[in-house]
Amino acid sequence: MTQTYEVFLGCAIPARFNNYEASMRAVAKELDIELLDFEGASCCGTVVLKSIDEPSWLAVSGRNIALAEKRGHNIVTPCNGCFGSLKDCAHVLHDNEAVRKTTNKTLSALGLQFTGKATIRHFVEVLYDMKNEIKGKIVRSLDGLSIAFHPGCHLLRPSKVAGFDDPELPRKVDELLELAGAKSIPWGLKLRCCGSPLLIASESIASRVLKEKMISVKAAGANCVVTNCPACHTQFDIQAIGMKDDEGSSLELPALFVTQVLGAAMGIDADALGLRLNRVPLDPIASFLGL
Amino acid sequence: MTENWGQLKSFEGKRFEALDAEFTKEVSKLIGGQDLTTCYSCAKCSAGCPVSDKVNIQVHELMRMLLFGLKEVLDTDMVWLCTTCYQCQQRCPQGIEITDIIFGLKNMAFRKRITPPGYVASRKALYDNGKLYEPTEWERDDLGLSPVPPLDVAETRKVLDKTGLMKIEEGK
Repeated sequence: MTQTYEVFLGCAIPARFNNYEASMRAVAKELDIELLDFEGASCCGTVVLKSIDEPSWLAVSGRNIALAEKRGHNIVTPCNGCFGSLKDCAHVLHDNEAVRKTTNKTLSALGLQFTGKATIRHFVEVLYDMKNEIKGKIVRSLDGLSIAFHPGCHLLRPSKVAGFDDPELPRKVDELLELAGAKSIPWGLKLRCCGSPLLIASESIASRVLKEKMISVKAAGANCVVTNCPACHTQFDIQAIGMKDDEGSSLELPALFVTQVLGAAMGIDADALGLRLNRVPLDPIASFLGL
Repeated sequence: MTENWGQLKSFEGKRFEALDAEFTKEVSKLIGGQDLTTCYSCAKCSAGCPVSDKVNIQVHELMRMLLFGLKEVLDTDMVWLCTTCYQCQQRCPQGIEITDIIFGLKNMAFRKRITPPGYVASRKALYDNGKLYEPTEWERDDLGLSPVPPLDVAETRKVLDKTGLMKIEEGK
């Protein structure tokens, strides 16, 4: 049965990672997942606005949720930041009656109300439910590709809000990557934050956090890093460019989105997956990707 | 440019004038603050924190300052260098919603104009455009992606005028 969602893209994907959206849509088409446009979407609310003023965050995030609710649709997003913000907002509004009343009073100016009836999912959650269908679509094994999968924080934590996978030993997206024939290897700092949210406060500390991650990835012997979040990808595919360890060895490593890996294994054309827009050169793994 | 945030760099030689129980109560009322006073200072939060070795004041010290009612906590770098990764909150044996408390502290600090300048710029972008960034049209054209659905900025501004986002600083 076709699953239908309004797709919440957020700001970062259309600005920086249109290859993520293209590959998500290509994979969704293969799996018969219907992605409707999210009319009137604003910024998700984001940790940035939550940091400045929580009532504003709840109102902006709550407005997005209420729009989908009014149209009777559920929400899917490929961004950990949007997933975290929308889920967290729904969690707070669900649990805290006083805050819900205040937020709904604000939203009533737009003729909207948060009711809590829309389900909010990350795109990888939808994919995980379709494991069997994905298995049947794999036409090209990525055997030999060693992936360091970076789940990112807001996909998993706080688990009470995210509700997706084990926060200490996540396996679900790794299972998907292994359906493609690749190996998801263990690595020391897998669960560690990528540092992306610090780019706004201190780029130098954000870089130190990233450098530790890259050293851990390299030590584990991965061919590439895989993410499911444009904020994390900003670190791995933009900020990591030119990064070196203390001995002067390059810490760059090809960075792919989970949908690009699955798409390649489904035999989807490299251009349709936007692989030419990945910034760190993909040469070392080109043969796996049909490049 | 001199930073106005993270100015409390060490407890060494520092004398605090008062322990303000009202401040602890105020923080307990923040979203996620309900279990604040159950902290027994095990420091598991700092053990898993990605910036523990990069800040002057670590998260378990921040928690202690909250229990002691020390408003100077707003001047610690831990407030704005929290990556919001939620590892401390996930692992706290007392179930204290530490990351959410830190969000509330950021709100308090912002009102006192103790903030990295990037947040002031982002607030303006969010108010003016309803978004943080604009789509890169040539990439979307190349990939055959449809235009991003339009947003009527008047709608988000109406919401943000109601919450008073642009005038939250003290004295305004």
